[in-house]
Formats: sequence, C-alpha cells, structure tokens
Amino acid sequence: MTITWEHFIYFAIPSIILWALGAFFAYKKSGRVPSILLTILGLLVFFAFIAAFWQSLERPPLRTMGETRLWYSFFLPIAGLITYIRWRYPWILTFSTILATVFIFVNILKPEIHNKTLMPALQSPWFAPHVIVYMFSYAMLGAGALVSLYFLLFGRKQKIETKIMDLIDNFIYVGLAFLTIGMLFGALWAKEAWGHYWSWDPKETWAAATWMGYLVYVHYRNHKPLRYKNALCVVVFGFLLLQITWFGVNYLPSAQGLSIHTYSAE
Amino acid sequence: MWKYPWKYAEGIVICIGLFVTGAVLQFTIGPIVLEYLKYPLNLIFGIIYCVILVAFYFLSKHNKYIFWFSKSEAAITSIVSLLILVIIMGFTRQEVIMPIDGHPHKNIGDWNLGFHQMTRSWIFALLFLYFLNILGLATIRRLASFKWKDFTFAMNHLGLFIALLAGVLGSADMQRLRMQTQLGQPEWRATTDDGQMVELPIAIELQSFTIEQYPPKLLVISNETGEALPKKQPHNLLVEETPIKGKLLDWEIEVTEFLPMAASVITQDTVKYVNFETHGATSAVYVKAKKDEQVKEGWVSAGNHMFPHRALTLNDEFSVVMPEREPKKYASGVNVYVKDGEDIQTTIEVNKPLEVEGWKIYQLSYDEVMGRWSNISIFELVRDPWLPYVYLGIIMMLIGSVGLFLVAKRKDNK
Repeated sequence: MTITWEHFIYFAIPSIILWALGAFFAYKKSGRVPSILLTILGLLVFFAFIAAFWQSLERPPLRTMGETRLWYSFFLPIAGLITYIRWRYPWILTFSTILATVFIFVNILKPEIHNKTLMPALQSPWFAPHVIVYMFSYAMLGAGALVSLYFLLFGRKQKIETKIMDLIDNFIYVGLAFLTIGMLFGALWAKEAWGHYWSWDPKETWAAATWMGYLVYVHYRNHKPLRYKNALCVVVFGFLLLQITWFGVNYLPSAQGLSIHTYSAE
Repeated sequence: MWKYPWKYAEGIVICIGLFVTGAVLQFTIGPIVLEYLKYPLNLIFGIIYCVILVAFYFLSKHNKYIFWFSKSEAAITSIVSLLILVIIMGFTRQEVIMPIDGHPHKNIGDWNLGFHQMTRSWIFALLFLYFLNILGLATIRRLASFKWKDFTFAMNHLGLFIALLAGVLGSADMQRLRMQTQLGQPEWRATTDDGQMVELPIAIELQSFTIEQYPPKLLVISNETGEALPKKQPHNLLVEETPIKGKLLDWEIEVTEFLPMAASVITQDTVKYVNFETHGATSAVYVKAKKDEQVKEGWVSAGNHMFPHRALTLNDEFSVVMPEREPKKYASGVNVYVKDGEDIQTTIEVNKPLEVEGWKIYQLSYDEVMGRWSNISIFELVRDPWLPYVYLGIIMMLIGSVGLFLVAKRKDNK
C-alpha cells in the first residue's frame, strides 16, 4: 500500500490526542509516567507515518516545505518531552503539543502536491542529516522564542525567574549547537555537490545572519546575565531571521531565481 | 566616552568609524580585488597577521585599551555590525561580476556602497577584518591560560578563526574551471569564469554519457495559456507502471501502455508510437481519458530533439501533456589521463566528484537540448589548496557544537 498525504490525518489526529493526553497528565500528581508514555506513543504513531511515507516516496521526505513541517511537528514534542523529563515543567508538553498541532493542521489544510522526484543534487548521504539536524534546531529555537515572547508580553505582571532564563538558555544553546552542525554539514555537502563550501547563496546568507543572531544571544547572556529583557528580545529577533531563512527567502525579491536551495517549484 | 573602562558605546563608534572609512575607500578605489593575494603572498600575509595578533595579545596585558578588544563588548558590537551587513546583503540582490583582467571596475560617478557585491565591498571587508581580530585576540587570550573547561570555547572560537582565515586567504588560490568534453575526444583545456583558456596537466576523455530518468509524468494544461492546472498546485500523474489509473482535474485518466523508447510514426489519419530502441528515442504513453460520457484516447509524448511532442486534446479548454522527464541521475564514464601518472577509468556523477592531482572534478551539465542522447558532458574542475585548513576549522567547530550541547545540560546542575 502506498502512503500519501491523504492518509496523514489518520496518523496525525491520534498523535495529537495522545500528546494532548500526555500534556494533561503532566499537570496531575503522579501523572509523570503516564504523561511520558503517552507522549512517546504519540511520537511512535507519528513516526509510523513518516516511515511509511518515506518508504512509498522512495526518497526521504525532506524536500518540500510540507515535508519539512512534518519533521518539525515531530521534533517539537520530542524537544518538549526531553525538557519535561529533565526539568519537569508541567506546562511544556501543552506548549509543544499546541505548536506541533498548528504545523500538523497547516499540512492537513494545505498539503502540497508531492511527487517522488528528487533532483540529482539532492541525492546525497548528506541530505537527511542536514535537514533533520536543522529541523531539530528550529524546534528548539522556536520553543525558546515562544517562551521569550510570552515573558516579553506578560513579563510585567509576572516576574521572570532565573529558572525561566535557564530554560531559555538551554533551548538556545541546544538549538544553536544543532544550527551550527546543520550549517557545517551543509558546507561539507555543498563542497561535494557544487564545488564550494560556501557561495553566499541567498539561503546561506540568511542562515549566516540567523547563526550570528544567536551568537549575539550567547555572548550577551555571558556578559550581562541579569539583563533578561534585552536577551529575550534577541531570541525573538533571532527567530525572525530564522523564519526568513526557512521560508522567507522563497518570497524575497532579492533571492528570486538565484537560490540553489529552492526545490519545491514544480 | 573613551574613558576607561570602555563599554558598548565605544564599540559602536568604532564600528561606525570602520563603516565610514570603508565607504570612503569604496568611493575612491572601488570594489576589492582579492585575486592578487595568491600564493605565496597570502601565506606570508597570514603569518604576519597571526604574528601581529599575538603581539597585540602581549600588548593587551599591559594596555587596558587593547585588552578591551578581547572582551564581550567588542565581540558583541562587531558581531552585530557584521550581522547588519549580512542582513543588508540578504535584502540586496547580489551580482556576480568578475573583475576584468584582475582590475576592479569602478565607474566614475558610481557612488554606491558596493552592497550589491557585498563580499567585495570595503565596508564588509573592514568590519569582517575587525571581527576576525577580535575573535583572534579572544581566542589567544583564552588559549594562553588554557584549562580543560575552556575546551568547548577553544574549539568553537579557534575553529571559526581558522576556517575564516583559511577561507579568505585561500580564495585567490582557488581555481574553478569549466571543461566541455565530447564523446571520444580527450580534452585538457578548460575555461575560467571570465572566459580565459587554461591548459591542465590532466586530460579527460568522455567514454559515455547516460541519464537515468524518473518515470514520465502527465499534466493537464490549459490550451490557451499552456499553464499546468490547477494553477497553484498542478495535479500530476506519475506513470510508474502500466496500466495505471488516476485523476487529473475531473478527468479519469488511464494509462494502458508505456514505451520508454519510442518513435512516432505518421499513418494516414493519425500519429502512433512504436518501439524504437536506439539513439534518439523519446518516451510515449497511451492515455484513455474519461469525464461523464466523454471519452478521449491517444498517444502522449514528451518529444525531444528528434520527435515533436504530442498532447491529447480533451476539449477546447484542456489537453493532457507529458513534460520532459526529470533526470534521476546523470553520469559520465571517463578516462582521465594524468601527466606522469596512471590513467584512471571511472564514472563521475552529481554528488560524486572525482579527486585527482589536487583537482576535484564535478559533473556540471550536458547538452540539454539532446537530453539523454547528449554526446557532450560539461565538468567543473576545482582546485582549492587551502581546503584542508578550512576543514580543520569546520571539524573543530563540529566538536565545539557537541560541547555547546553538553554545556547546556551541565549548566543546570550547578
């Protein structure tokens, strides 16, 4: 049987329900174990779709925007789960579930018509690690940005605690680590495919800007650890840059017809 | 301001100063040409640069103003100013203009800041150099009093420093050439970006050129505009096997026959396709389309340089067509002859370059009009002697990233 986007909803809805239940149990006393198990179960159901889809596409589902959103909605609950297991914030699973649901619904309501073709430049062992590492990074940085935005908007009523800054630091550090790895994998791959490791292609230019944005955060936190609000602004700004890198370049007039990173145009 | 201790304000003013200096240089001299900085000049420059940086480190021990350049305020202001330039670069369409005969072309009355060629602009160069200085000084300072807890810092900073320095110094030594080869004819001449012919110590003889294609795809187009429909997300049917059924717009489509190697034969009243397993063949499928009571059937073919394409007209508005089949893989079988060395017989394909005598040979293109029957293959030859140093930097940064990931976790435990 070939799995297509038409079947996505039958995997996605059960996953969302499982994640929502997991998020619900996180608020209960002694709900920790069921919460973790339910979230993992949801992830397994979701991954079953990715695996089957991969199988029937006969190529990794990483090429189009819709396909990268698929991974994004997979990694968000993972990031949430890791954070929950380690730091025990009860609200983090609610948060990751809502975010993942948004991306799932974008894919259900606007599935791009996909086909199996993958141009020769993308047929490389670097392809999967490059995109998967980036998507995981985006999930972490996205989580960091939303927590930051929340405290920037409602921070007056609620005092920002050191604990929250630690959480955001962790999101950004892990996100930046993966962002760097994704970028460097990209450079190594580019050398094999296009002859040079860095060509200032529009997507590369914005990836560099995004990376530098988060460098500013790391250095600023190191230098002025108590200036919370400024640091939170940098996180939100970094995420704006990331949005341009991820899909904004597809619409930028300055990048039209130049980017070798545009693959979804049929 | 300018009183000890320096803070952010001084950093910002320094960056603005560099910006203005860069602008003046841009107006008077024109864009930067790094092409002069070839071996051994670049190596000498690199060594002198590193010596100066180390000297500045020793000076910074006694001079608090120089010391400032290895501090967070300097780092942050220089990253931010470079970030601003990169963002401007992202919003400005970049032009690829090569300097003519190594001379920058500066037109009189050309008062722009050079942002349309950011990496050749003086402003970018000065702020980049400033950034590299700060990165270098901070790295030396930390390495001079190295403890194991600085390992991640060292990997990230030294790695970035090495990769950037080697990348910039090596850029003039990098050669990128295009070589067009014809089936059965050894070729040792290649052309540079600005059209100059270069003779190489290696020769490539094209033995074979093959394209593996994806199965054909069917689309419905508007007869009037030729656009694939529906406009934003055209439907398509991939003919992976025959018979296959599918839907395009509201037509039921059935493909009953697929000839991967076909030729068109004109009969008295129609055109039909027959097997034609030889050079110049195209692909054709037999399509039956049904909508309500209307039934249309006939051959559909992508066509090529020998045979015209053929569509199946559904009605006044729509037709079924087969766009050119997408290449899955293209590969060149080659003999590579090396001066004073052994000949190599191999295959070069996209993502699988051949490395020989310090050159990497990439499959770049072919005669697209001839498609799979192309008897020429175009290669790109790249020589980048500084690449190992860039890779050293990249690998250090990869290790540093793993370190950053681990540091993130450890921070919580304290």
